[in-house]
Amino acid sequence: MNRLSFWSSLPFAVLIVFTAPLLIVLSSLFGDYSENWSHLYEFVLFNYISNSLILVAGVGVLVFFLGTITAWTVTNFNFPGRNTFEWALILPLAIPPYILAYTFTGLFDPYGDANNLIREILGLDQDVIIFPSVRNIYGAITVFGFTLYPYVYLVSRSAFINQSKSMIEASRMLGLNQIQVFYKLALPIIRPAAVGGMMLVIMETLSDFGAVDHFAIETFTTGIFRTWYGLYDLQTAMQLASLLLITVGVFYILEKNSRGNGIYTSSNSTFSPNKEEVLSGFRAFFAFSICLLPIFIGFILPILELSLWAFEVNIAFFNEKFFKNSINTFTLSIGTGLICAGLALLINFSLRFKPTKLIKRLSSLLSIGYAVPGLILAVGMVQLMVGLDNLIFSNLDIVLTGSIFGLLVAYIIKTYALANSSIESGYERISNSIDDSSRILGSTSWVMLFNIHTPLMKTALLTSVLLVMSDVVKELPATLILRPFNFETLAVSTYIYASEERMLQAAAPAIAIVLVGLIPIIFLSKMIRSSRPATEK
Amino acid sequence: MKKIYILLLLSFFGNSILTSEVNVYTSRHYDSDDALYAEFTRETGIAVNIISGKGSALLQRLKSEGKNSPADIFFTVDAGNLWKVQKEGLFQSIKSKKVLTVVPENLRGPNDEWTAIAKRARVIFYNPRNVSKDLIKDINYEDLANPEWNKKIVIRSSNNMYNQSLVASLIDNLGEANTEKWAKSVVNNLARKPQGNDRSQIIAVANGEADLAVANSYYIGIMLSGSAGQEQLEAAKKVNMIFPNQSNRGAHINISGAGILKNSPNTNNANLFLEFLLSKRVQKYMVDKSYEYPIHEDVVPSKEIAGFGINFKEDQISVKNFGELNPAAVRLMDRSGWK
Repeated sequence: MNRLSFWSSLPFAVLIVFTAPLLIVLSSLFGDYSENWSHLYEFVLFNYISNSLILVAGVGVLVFFLGTITAWTVTNFNFPGRNTFEWALILPLAIPPYILAYTFTGLFDPYGDANNLIREILGLDQDVIIFPSVRNIYGAITVFGFTLYPYVYLVSRSAFINQSKSMIEASRMLGLNQIQVFYKLALPIIRPAAVGGMMLVIMETLSDFGAVDHFAIETFTTGIFRTWYGLYDLQTAMQLASLLLITVGVFYILEKNSRGNGIYTSSNSTFSPNKEEVLSGFRAFFAFSICLLPIFIGFILPILELSLWAFEVNIAFFNEKFFKNSINTFTLSIGTGLICAGLALLINFSLRFKPTKLIKRLSSLLSIGYAVPGLILAVGMVQLMVGLDNLIFSNLDIVLTGSIFGLLVAYIIKTYALANSSIESGYERISNSIDDSSRILGSTSWVMLFNIHTPLMKTALLTSVLLVMSDVVKELPATLILRPFNFETLAVSTYIYASEERMLQAAAPAIAIVLVGLIPIIFLSKMIRSSRPATEK
Repeated sequence: MKKIYILLLLSFFGNSILTSEVNVYTSRHYDSDDALYAEFTRETGIAVNIISGKGSALLQRLKSEGKNSPADIFFTVDAGNLWKVQKEGLFQSIKSKKVLTVVPENLRGPNDEWTAIAKRARVIFYNPRNVSKDLIKDINYEDLANPEWNKKIVIRSSNNMYNQSLVASLIDNLGEANTEKWAKSVVNNLARKPQGNDRSQIIAVANGEADLAVANSYYIGIMLSGSAGQEQLEAAKKVNMIFPNQSNRGAHINISGAGILKNSPNTNNANLFLEFLLSKRVQKYMVDKSYEYPIHEDVVPSKEIAGFGINFKEDQISVKNFGELNPAAVRLMDRSGWK
């Protein structure tokens, strides 16, 4: 089986290169510890940790409920607007959390647009403030919750669709009402999937700097940057980032173990869909509201505010530069999406047959790359690229550093977790017996991968490409220092304005990000619409 | 042998083609800068290549790239970063006579390794309807600690580099112990938890949420220009700006500055670029768009800014000192509970 050993060593080689920047970050732990550590420990570290914990717990609970309740509602009930909600519920994925944060303060600050509007409508005095302040940890929880819940929604929805009706029918016959069915039966069954989605949300929340910085909350990540920018101590900042990485890694592995090793592969052939209940009157309105709320807060509201801003200043934005930036953004995102999905497929494939410990560890390291703040990753990335340049061009020139290649690798490390999550769950649905039969029939590993797994995984592959794309469109800090000269993406222009809180100017490129980000989302939505079992149509 | 000559010839031409560019790493982002770079190319035929990003992150890229770095110029709005680049030994001395005659010594780095391109003051804003001018016309940064301003001051978070350099300059002037006492009292005098950018502090004062705001001078220019929208224009009209410490050392000044990198592949072009930025015409264009103060002494600031006074007294303390004291300033603010 020479081929197989080649097959399992290829992803291994790729993984080593791709995880090197993370290893460079982690290697800071073996360096010197500066006196800043005692300062951090004495005055701020506790604050950083407790705020991050509160944030992650709050966001985790919020996305769990938002994601599972909406998924349950659209898969089990029929009510006006259901078919639209089914795909529209993922729209907030196109809004980067920091953009929602900026629009939130624009709306809900004491003299923000929402307060002004209500004061005007009700004829109230200028000093009457209606909305509570959002510049606090609750505001941040709301922002992350409403932009990231679709990760939970997506997995929960497909899990609910695959739940068989007989179980639900039995429980209804035993006298459980719909709500009881939801939390006594449906939730426990989809919990592993939903927790996987939550894990993605938590990693993205931890790595974020923009939104928490805007709300002036001291989290672990703002602490990392304060240590770097303010204390001029990159070494300690990298050590802090490593601790974050290790913590996330431990949780990631715990979560993987709690899910078991994919023995619960079930075959779709005996699937019989759950019969949905038609709602009317108040109950239909209630279901409608439940689905509208997250879309309203996570998508409609920020779009409205951004449009207001964009119209207030007349800047010629949709010019040649805009198209160039859009093309850059789109090309990068599709490139990253394809590579990530391919890589995830190969790695999961080789894990299915030869789950060597090293590949397992490296591949989970690649997944937790999602939790590393982008600029810290970029620091590791620059070091790797310079190292490779020295190796290849022996100190004569730098070619890879500041090239698109470096950018791509950074994006892949940052978003691999997204690709992996959907490929992994795709593989969980391919029964092991398929592999066994094909092997008995004499298929080589190549044949199995390309002729059997790939067609079965079409949806999972496409989903992983699209999820990665929508994230790359939004992701920015990594691009800032890794990019080649004069190379701009949409996120860069937005960030440049937004970092100076010139929101009126930032609005047009921000809308552009949302528009470009919508392209993969629309494809994803289409898939969602057509992914209902045929019997229901 | 012939091949070698051809190679040499090629590399010669290759280089001369390369010399028609200047590579800039910048943490300064203004739309108006793009127009400036285009103008430079039009005048000199030298292409300007840009990578913009966070100053600290760009420094890291420079360091990693080492002697092969393509960068010619490091351009930043954070004086601390200039100091850091110098400390790493990455700058070369600026030799251009034109640059050295235009820029006064205190606005250049040690050994002329970097130069200011424009400057800004960190000043105090108040609403004349709530605070009488007489009461604060002689205000010092030190006075912000006085109990009369209890719950009446707004200032942004200590993550902000402008606050960090202000505190660093106070450490330099007053000593660390006095500055820490000052910072603790200022924190007690805050009307709200530090939040938002400099503009939201000015808006808070305009709306009467607080009496005094500490912010950079150019923000009022941007707001008054109307480019930030009607609401900010209205707010800006309500407030007045005052330069602190005029009866003693002067107001705290920070700079936008640039230096030429030691391994710069296009040093001549880099010199031309700095000379261009410091020329009278370009200085006027820059300050009219960015509302900063010019370095060239024959240039007047934009009309939005000039109304608040042109000949104010500047703290002459060298900008390099805030770089050096920045970490101490951050630790001090952590200890004082300045969020």
